[in-house]
Amino acid sequence: MDEDIILDIKNVTKRFPGVTALDNASLSIRRGEIHGLCGENGAGKSTLMKILSGVYPYGDYEGSILYEGKELKLENRSIRQAIEEGIAIVYQELTLVPSMTVGENVYLGKEPVESGSINWDKLYSDTQQILTKYGLDIRPQEVVKHLGVGRMQMTEIAKALSENAKVLILDEPTSALAEAEIVKLMEILEHLKSLGVTCIYITHKLEEFFRITDTVTVLRDGKIVTTQPTKDLSVESLVGYMVGREMKERFPRGNRQPGEVIFEVEDMHAVDPEESARKVLKGVNFNLRKGEILGIAGLMGSGRTELVQTIFGEYGKITSGKIILEGREVTIHSGYDAMKTGISLVPEDRKRHGLVLMQSILKNISLPNLDKFASFMQIDKDSELKESLVFAKSMAIKAPNMFIPCNSLSGGNQQKVVIAKWLMSNPKILIMDDPTRGIDVGAKYEIYKLMNELAERGIAIIMISSELEEVLGMSDRIMVMCEGASTETLEINEATEEKIMALATGVTLTENIQTKKNEVLQ
Amino acid sequence: MSAQTNTAGLLRRNLMANLQTYAIMLALVAIWALFAATTKGAYLNAQNFSNLLRQMTVTSFLASGMVLVIVTGGIDLSVGKLAGFVSVVAAYFQASVWTKVIPDQPILAAVLSILIGLGVGVLWGIAQGYIISYLRVPAFIVTLGSMWILNGAILLVTQGKTIPANQPAFSVIAQGYLPNWAGWVLGAISIVLLVYSTVRGRNQKRKYGFELAPLFLDLIKVIFFSALIAGYVYYVNLYNGVAVPVLLLAITVLIMSYISDNTRFGRYAYAIGGNREAARLSGIGIRKNVFQIFVLMGFLCGVSGVVLASYVGYGTIAAGNGYELDAIASCILGGTSTLGGEGTVIGAMIGSLIMTSLTNGLQMLNVAPAWQYVVKGVVLILAVLADVYFKKNR
Repeated sequence: MDEDIILDIKNVTKRFPGVTALDNASLSIRRGEIHGLCGENGAGKSTLMKILSGVYPYGDYEGSILYEGKELKLENRSIRQAIEEGIAIVYQELTLVPSMTVGENVYLGKEPVESGSINWDKLYSDTQQILTKYGLDIRPQEVVKHLGVGRMQMTEIAKALSENAKVLILDEPTSALAEAEIVKLMEILEHLKSLGVTCIYITHKLEEFFRITDTVTVLRDGKIVTTQPTKDLSVESLVGYMVGREMKERFPRGNRQPGEVIFEVEDMHAVDPEESARKVLKGVNFNLRKGEILGIAGLMGSGRTELVQTIFGEYGKITSGKIILEGREVTIHSGYDAMKTGISLVPEDRKRHGLVLMQSILKNISLPNLDKFASFMQIDKDSELKESLVFAKSMAIKAPNMFIPCNSLSGGNQQKVVIAKWLMSNPKILIMDDPTRGIDVGAKYEIYKLMNELAERGIAIIMISSELEEVLGMSDRIMVMCEGASTETLEINEATEEKIMALATGVTLTENIQTKKNEVLQ
Repeated sequence: MSAQTNTAGLLRRNLMANLQTYAIMLALVAIWALFAATTKGAYLNAQNFSNLLRQMTVTSFLASGMVLVIVTGGIDLSVGKLAGFVSVVAAYFQASVWTKVIPDQPILAAVLSILIGLGVGVLWGIAQGYIISYLRVPAFIVTLGSMWILNGAILLVTQGKTIPANQPAFSVIAQGYLPNWAGWVLGAISIVLLVYSTVRGRNQKRKYGFELAPLFLDLIKVIFFSALIAGYVYYVNLYNGVAVPVLLLAITVLIMSYISDNTRFGRYAYAIGGNREAARLSGIGIRKNVFQIFVLMGFLCGVSGVVLASYVGYGTIAAGNGYELDAIASCILGGTSTLGGEGTVIGAMIGSLIMTSLTNGLQMLNVAPAWQYVVKGVVLILAVLADVYFKKNR
């Protein structure tokens, strides 16, 4: 081969007690390409990344890695050394200090020091140079917590690039981004590519491989299944490689007939409870029918999450408007009230909001439902276990028993625990805030099937999703939000990606969408 | 997924879940063995053993409540001074009030002193809990301020003098011993209750169709704890019998363990400490729970203060000095995580016993107080270091 190979991974095997995470993997990455890594959770992607970034040091794995033609020898847990070699990682979870500025974050741990004190002017001007060079549109003096998620992600990239990285590894960079921000990220990656930076791109969103990558490598059970130029692949073939079998459809369509209207929100306005001048909801109207899945679409920051948390009684202070459940107006002051009324919320971020990670599956499932088994004086632990087991089984949670702590479960299984916990409270209305974020294709499919089953049983489901495809694939109707207000509710047969984007960005003419998208980012 | 797995799995799970408790028990045994050897057995004779348990009681009441406070992610720096304040108030009533109002009724006087002491603790807990949970001032700050206020209050009540609280009826609380026969009756009742609860537990599991833990395991458990109870009663009866404060502590620990493990209140505390956001979005009233925990903590300070007054026989200006740190150290030695979400009352009690065992043993060996502090500090840091190392390499 006469191609310019920057990273040559040869027969790498990494074993853990009882499991081979990476099994004789060989992979060549060409200089300047965007190389996609694809595979379900547990396929070995993270293990490979951890080897490249020095978390698992040289000698801890079998096989060899040639970087720029030389053996890559990273010391134990020396991420710093990997960075010095020119390999940088942007993790899925942001690793910024929110109270510091962009510049401080970019140079965190490597501040320019002159005779013992930090040279702030140099730090900020260097930061500005990096930002300009890579076409990142942020001010170095901006405090990170005031940035939106999209710009935090840019800061993260700037931080990784500040050492003149040759290889940039991006681990699910778009999982927290809305469509317009993703577009911007793609532009940045194209720009980096033109500057000769090699990118390894990991994502669960298959479309992105086709949008940005040159080559895709698929991993399954620690083995490399295939490496192919992206242009030779299709979504179907990719999924086929990932799961090792044909998957006919990504979004199973249930056979359901939504019934009468069970839930209505009328002209809801709400303010931030901490800061009552800040309006978070500015007129939301929608209704929900029994046994239907209502999708809520909208950009990041459009008030989707704020809306559902307010309905659940745990966020905004409602200033006007009505919530009507089964024909009667209800007032909900807390999550407890919401549960009693029959509304459950599967929150956005299962790790931060959904689970007590250190506790067992059992304790997590029963947590909101302890009233069922408890008198004032005691909890009937046997009936707690028995009941929870029923829901864990119906959810097909994969775990040896109920006493396993949730932090040892995969993302998909964690999400099932969160859903189980809320189904146990026997809701009439189940709100799911981005239920498949960051989980793999197989687990997503299971969650979709489950949602269909629940809807067929007559539960009304509200689903928020950042993925337009998912909203279009799963919903009966789609309510689109824009800047804290509801716009239109589209029937599924009249909804298209373009219509949704137009409503979400607040423009009516389709040709304006692209410009508006960019404006949103400014 | 099954409700339980086989015997080996069950044992392993139990071992892993309580690893830290077992490890610290081993440490305790090692400390005892060391002192027993260096004091030629005097350390573990009936008299000193009985005293050892009596000595740990005052701070142990505090530690049993502190566990829940720390588990929710909070801290309470005022417990030592609150117990001290309760002790001087109780002493004040014993010495100056009841002698005038009801001079001929020492028992009623003692009961009233106890109630007043508990009342003061609870009221302080209510005020403190309200400020922390509903007015949202950080617990660290509220309880730090509270500590100073109480220190001043102690000086105000005592006027800088020592108040006697050594009336016989009041002294029983911390200095009394049960007659030998009563110790045996109590021991027997405990064993019967232990057997009863085990049998009941098994029956209920059967009713629900769960796989039962093998009978021999439960048998071993029952026999072990019965032997522990009987051995304790036998041994302390060689000296003066079961000490009243130790009995009070045992009851408190049983109740606190039960609360933390078997009630919604306790479960919520662990959920709040484990992940506050998840707890909130699970419909748990966080403020209410935290408030209740501080009230409970206040009550236990009341108990501790009353026992303290009776134990020392005086209300002094230095009452409760530094007890909050002993209580916190006991919790941490016993495996309570300062980050919240983890910790057991039983663990804290073993932690407290270790602290007391060290103090007692070093005193017996006539080690200078300066070095006693050094040893205690080193042991605390080593224990946590071992834990950190151990968790990393599990």
